[in-house]
This record gives sequence, C-alpha cells and structure tokens, in this order.
Amino acid sequence: MSALLVNAGGLMLMAAIVWWFWLSPSNDTESNQNHSHHH
Amino acid sequence: MNDHTELQPALSISGASCQGCVRNITRALESLTGSAELISVDLESQTVALPDGINIDEAARIVTGAGYPAMAVDAPPDNGSVSDNDPDHDTGSQSGRTEVTADGDEVHLAVTGATCASCVNTIEKALKSVNGITGAHMNLADNTATATGQANSQALIRAIESAGYGASVIEDPDAADDQKQEDDRKRYRDLLVKMTVSLGLGIGLMVYGMGFGTMMVTEANQWTWINLGVLTLAVMATTGGHFYIGAWKAFRHHNANMDTLIALGTGTAWLYSIAVATMPFALPEMARHVYFEASAMIIGLINLGQALELRAKGKTSEAVRRLLDLRAKTARVIRDGAEQDLPVDQVRVGDQIRVRPGESVPVDGQISEGSTRVDESMLTGEPMPVRKGEGDEVSAGTLNTRGSIIYTATRVGRDTALAQIIRLVKKAQGSKPAIGRLADRISSVFVPTVMLIAVVSALVWYNVGPEPAVVHMMVAATTVLIIACPCALGLATPMSVMVGVGKAAEYGALIRQGDALQTAGKLDLVILDKTGTITEGHPAVTHLYASDDDTDKLLTLAAGLEQHSEHPLAEAIMVKAKEQGVSPGKVTGFETINGKGVRGELENQPVRLGNRKWLESEGIDLAGLQEEADTITSDAGTPLFLALGDKPVGVIGVADALKQDSAAAIRRLHDAGIRVMMVTGDVDATASAIARQAGIDDYRAEVLPEEKSTIVSAMRGKGYTVAMVGDGINDAPALAAADVGFAIGTGTDVAIESAGITLMRGSLHGVADAIEISRATVRNIHQNLFGAFVYNTLGIPVAAGLLYPFWGILMSPILAGAAMSLSSVTVVTNANRLRLFSTSRNTREEGNQ
Repeated sequence: MSALLVNAGGLMLMAAIVWWFWLSPSNDTESNQNHSHHH
Repeated sequence: MNDHTELQPALSISGASCQGCVRNITRALESLTGSAELISVDLESQTVALPDGINIDEAARIVTGAGYPAMAVDAPPDNGSVSDNDPDHDTGSQSGRTEVTADGDEVHLAVTGATCASCVNTIEKALKSVNGITGAHMNLADNTATATGQANSQALIRAIESAGYGASVIEDPDAADDQKQEDDRKRYRDLLVKMTVSLGLGIGLMVYGMGFGTMMVTEANQWTWINLGVLTLAVMATTGGHFYIGAWKAFRHHNANMDTLIALGTGTAWLYSIAVATMPFALPEMARHVYFEASAMIIGLINLGQALELRAKGKTSEAVRRLLDLRAKTARVIRDGAEQDLPVDQVRVGDQIRVRPGESVPVDGQISEGSTRVDESMLTGEPMPVRKGEGDEVSAGTLNTRGSIIYTATRVGRDTALAQIIRLVKKAQGSKPAIGRLADRISSVFVPTVMLIAVVSALVWYNVGPEPAVVHMMVAATTVLIIACPCALGLATPMSVMVGVGKAAEYGALIRQGDALQTAGKLDLVILDKTGTITEGHPAVTHLYASDDDTDKLLTLAAGLEQHSEHPLAEAIMVKAKEQGVSPGKVTGFETINGKGVRGELENQPVRLGNRKWLESEGIDLAGLQEEADTITSDAGTPLFLALGDKPVGVIGVADALKQDSAAAIRRLHDAGIRVMMVTGDVDATASAIARQAGIDDYRAEVLPEEKSTIVSAMRGKGYTVAMVGDGINDAPALAAADVGFAIGTGTDVAIESAGITLMRGSLHGVADAIEISRATVRNIHQNLFGAFVYNTLGIPVAAGLLYPFWGILMSPILAGAAMSLSSVTVVTNANRLRLFSTSRNTREEGNQ
C-alpha cells in the first residue's frame, strides 16, 4: 500500500513539475519576446 | 581623423543591432547622400551621422521605412509611440511610427540575488515583459541589467523584484562602480559570517553525532535531535534565508533557479530528518537517521563558494577599474586670471586648465600654451610619450611627462574619450557572444529537468534499492538537487568575456560586442586598406641620393625651394630637413610649374626640383641618377630630381612609407595562420611594391572606395571569415561588410562607428593582438563550458546513485554541496587565468626597448 502511495505521489509530483514550469499559462511571454540575434 | 568632424549625428534610431543593420541603413540612405562613405551608423549610441545639407526628415523617413524607427536628433521624443516588440529587421515590418532610442533610453539596473544562468533568463524575461521594453540584457559577471526602450524604471524594478530578485536603478554608471565595490566588500564579509555560522553548526552536529557514535534517532536521544533540528532550522533561515526567499519568488512566477535547487535539497534533508526525529517509530529502524548536518553544511559551503566567487569576480573587472583610476579628481583651472584647484566635475567646456609635469590631464582639450610630451600608453597602448604643442589635443587620463601646459577644455565629464572608452569596455564586457546565449537557453530548461531527475532517482531507489529504501531515496534526491546547480554554466561565458575584453583594452583594442570577440578568433583572412593602415598615410622622404654624396646640400637646396610651397611632397621634404637638422637654403624667386615641379634662384643660379620629363626638357642630363631613380620607383616611391644651374645635384625619393611595424605585424598574422590581403586605389606598380615590402599574400590595386565592400563580400562568399582593417570613416561600408571590422584609430579617437573593434593605436599589431586575445578568450569560454557541462553530466548520475550497483558508492549531499561550490569557483578562476595572457608581441615591452 505504501509503495503504491509513494510511486503515485512521485508521478504526481513529476506531472506537477512539468505542468508548473512548462505548461502553465504564465510562461507565454517567452515566445514573442525571446528575439534572438539574427546572425 | 579630422574627417570625423564633418559628420554630425543627425538621426536617432532604434533596433539596429549588428553590422547587417548598418549595411541596410547605409544602403537605404545612399540614394540621399550619393555615397555610402558619407553615412556613418553608430550602433552603440544608435545614431546615424550624415553630412550637412541633407534633408533630415527625409532621411528619418527612409531609415524608418527600412525597419529602424528613426527621428532627427534635435526633435523631441515621441513618448506616445512606444514599440512593444523588437523591431523585426528581416522583414522590415515596422510601421511608420517614430521613437527615440538614445542613451537616455537605456536603463541600467544593479541586480541582487542573481546567481546562475537560470536567473539571467528569468530576469531578462521579466524585463522584456514590461511594456515599452524592446531589449533586455543581464550580465551575471557584474550583476547589472540593461533594459532598452521606454518604460518607467520603477516598473522595471517591480518586474525584477516580482521575479524574485532585488534591483535598483544605476543613475550614474561611472559613480556606481565605487558604490558597487563597497557593496561587494560588505556582502563578502556577510557571506563569510554566514558561512562560519552554518558550517560551525554542521561540523558541530557531525562531531556530536560521532561523539555519540551515531546519527540515528533512539528513544534516549529523540528530544535532543528535535531540539537540534529546531536549531538547524533557525540557522538555515538566518544564513540561507536568501535561498528560500529567492526560490519561493521564482516558484510563484513558474521559474526555477539555483535557489530552487538549494532550497529543495536542503529542505528535503531537513524535513526528512525532523520527521525521523519526531516520529522515529513510524520508520524502519535502519531508516532513523537524521541529516541536519547536511542541510547546515550545504548552506555553509555554498555561502563559502559565493564568497570566493565574489572575490574572484572583483579581479575580472580590474581592467575597467584601472581605467576608472585614471580619472583625475581635481583640475587646476584658470578663471579670471587666477588659478584654482576645482573638482573635475566643475570644469566646463572652454575653461583654461594648467597641467604641470607629472600630473595627469583632467579633461579633454586643446593646448593653447606650452609644449610637452604626453604619455598616452594607458589609453592607446602606445608606449612612447607623444610630443604635444600648441593646437594639439590632449585626452583626460593621459600623463604630462615634461613641460607645463595650459589648454582649453573641449570635452568634459562623460564626453571625454576616457569616459567613452570606459563605457564601451563595460558595455562590451557585459555583452554576450552567441556561444553564451546557447548556455542560457540550455539552463532555462535545466533546473526543472533536474527536479524531474531527482524524483525519478528517488522512485528508483524506493522501488529497487536496498534497505533502508527511504533513506537512500532521500539522499539520492537531495544530492541530485544540490550537485546540479547550473551556476558554473551561467558564469562560464560572461566571466571570460569580461576578462578578454579588458585584456584587449589594455592592448589598445576596444571590442564593441561579444560577437566581434568570438568571431575575431575564427578569422582566416585579413583585408587591409593600404593608405593610413599599412602605410603612414602621408608622403615621407624615403631616399636621398646626392651625386657628390653631400645629401645635406641636396636637402638644403630642396628645402630652400619647398619652404615656399604647400604641396604635400614639399611638406615631406621640410619634415626630413628638420629631422636632419638642415636649415633651408635662401632661395628666391620661387615659382610652381604645375604638374612638373618647382623652381627658384640661389646666388643667381636657377634651382629646379621636379620630375624627370621636365628637367630633361630643360636640358639637364639625368642619366647618372637613373639607377637610384629606378630603385625609388620599384619601392613605390616618386623620384624628384634636383638641379642647380645645369648640373644634376641628386634625387629625392618620396613615398607613402610603410609604418615601421607593419611588416612585423603582418608576419604575426601569418604565424597565426591568417591570409593577408591588401586593397588600394593605387596603381598596380605601387601596390605590388608595398605588398612586397609588407609581405602581403595578395592585393587588389586600382580599387574604387565603394568597391572595397564588394571585395570583402566576395571573399566571404568564398568561405573566408574576413576581417577588414581600415579607417573608420572612408572604409565604413567595407568594415560593415566584413565579419569583423577593425577601425584603425589615431590616438584616442574612439567614436569610430561601423567597426566591431576599434584600435586606438595606428599599429597593425593591434589586429594581431586582438585576434590572439579573442582566440584565447574563446578557448577559455570553451574550457569553462566544457568543464561545467562535464561536471553536470558526470555529477548528476553519480549523485543519483549510478555507481552504487557496481561499487556501492552513494554520494553524500555534503560532498555534492562542496562540489557545486567548487565548480563555480573553478570557472571563475579559470577565467581569471586569462588575465595573465600576453600576446606574442608584448607591445609595451618591445616599445620601450
């Protein structure tokens, strides 16, 4: 039972990391602002 | 470079960021000026200089149409028309609105709390998200950020603060340096205190644990460990509070940085330990181990690392500090006939200033009285003091070595050449070459990735690891989080750029952008302009041959004639006579015979100086001088024959002579594996003679000025990485067309546009120096990036426990903390190694010989 909880917790934590740092909406400024030098 | 004075900044532009933009703007304006040579684009100040008489409004319209919002320099800024996005160069999709991006629209901010590459990204992103900001740049090496565009500085500060960092506006970047030095000293002491406290606790806990023989929680010591846990928390909060606050602020904005990793790592260890201490019986007996000492020691080690890093960083900006130290504090100003010592910031343009021997020149100006020798080595790298007399210009920061002079101030405060050099060097030091931008992109996804790796390794340990699984999973996750800090990655490029640009400045080469620094290291073809670059740029006497070996007599007669003339050739002869201490003969009845020569009379005998055709037509037999004349011609010189009465006296060779050190500098370029080519408007015979003398591989003669850029482009098309070396104004288009443009300056003329690198000294050695320094810097950056990359790619798997199945090794989180600190200290130290670099010709030493 505890193994199931730990593994599920770990996977949820990973999903939360991906969602928070990559998928959540407040990260959208980058796409149009990140104008790299055109050389 | 008197030509500069004819071009005045007429347009203020925005969005021009590279030599390609310079090319676009120049091409667009060519229809208006008739020639690209009359247009000069300054990327640094974002201005375009145009000759008088050009319709400025029309020019502004054209440049705006080309994709770079422009307006007349004198016109008031249009605050209502602010661009939210970067101007798109490639499509030229700008609307016709105008905006000003002058010096005042750059906001410089001092940033605190930024420690790694992710911070750089977060801060730049935060600044760019502010309305009106078109560009933002964070420099981790000196913890400053620069935002371009139009926005309230408070909005910028708020943006940075909400991203988890501190910021304040730098009102006067020059004065800020002293303040920053003081702040750094304070921070250094502060970090040492914090380090002592946290390491003290960590070591104390280890000793305690060992003294009791265990770090395991038992019924007997449970309360002791709970109390120690609370003590640890207090120490973590006081000595590492900035990590937790930074991590929280970043987290709120969906960002992750070095603070995040440290906070998570130390936090996990503490939470696990306190859980063990408060409810040991919920865990298997083997897992009742506390790691309070790890949390305290990691924070202590990271504080130590940051203190060491701060110290080493201070050294990298030595070049700028040395320049700053050149600024005089006071000036001896003569007002209303009385001399008084005034603080230098009270000196105004037009003031008369006295400088005595041994004193440094306080502001730029023009000598009105007296003569002296001035040591300009600190600005130009030119080792020999330069003779200066009435009418000559002197620059702030240079040293008056001999006589007392009085001069009129022409440029004061931030307009002096010294102030401009400092600004340029600082700006270039903060700029990031392409290689560094790559590192930033990598690190922005790095931290969240590391967090995922930490969770994965924890789960793997839990599921397949040996007992006590809970302990192993906690240790592995904590160690991964701690070891993976990308601080070394973030420091790798800016540290080396800072030292490299400073080093180049020491050699009299001002590098404008980080990109120029990087590209200069890759050059394989250097194209040199002839006149003024390889040669002196003005005619000089190269040969003196007298039929009766009496060259003094020859020079006396020639100077006697030419003292009446204003022709450049006459000037060359007068200079030679002065050099040799020969006084001009008393020639009367001087007249110029156009295109032929000059004539006069000495003691009733006619004296003639001119070309062969003319003298022979006057019945003078020059056959005896034939051999000498041929030598002169083959050395790219012009032979001038002199006859007294009907007898030939001798022949004088006048040529635009090679600079003394051109051949040696070109040899250095060859040694560096670089091909050298010359372009010149001269006829083939002259060009080939100069090319032979200088040891040039290839040349193009009879090239029109506007064709130079075509040749540069053609050579680039053949696959060469091309540098163009020439005068900053006439060769501007060619400089702009090259991968790296080198403007050969004279003295302290740093306002040279369109060149990636400006040489303050007229010597070609500067090109070789700059290339050698660039190569060394790029090599240093590669070492740093490689080191940081290897550290992380090796460190993370080891921390995750990859070695455990083979050798039973699981890294301790404390060791990870030490390794992480060591990695950034190593990078900074390696960058500092560059300070010891010296080029293959140490200019100063050789010049003093």
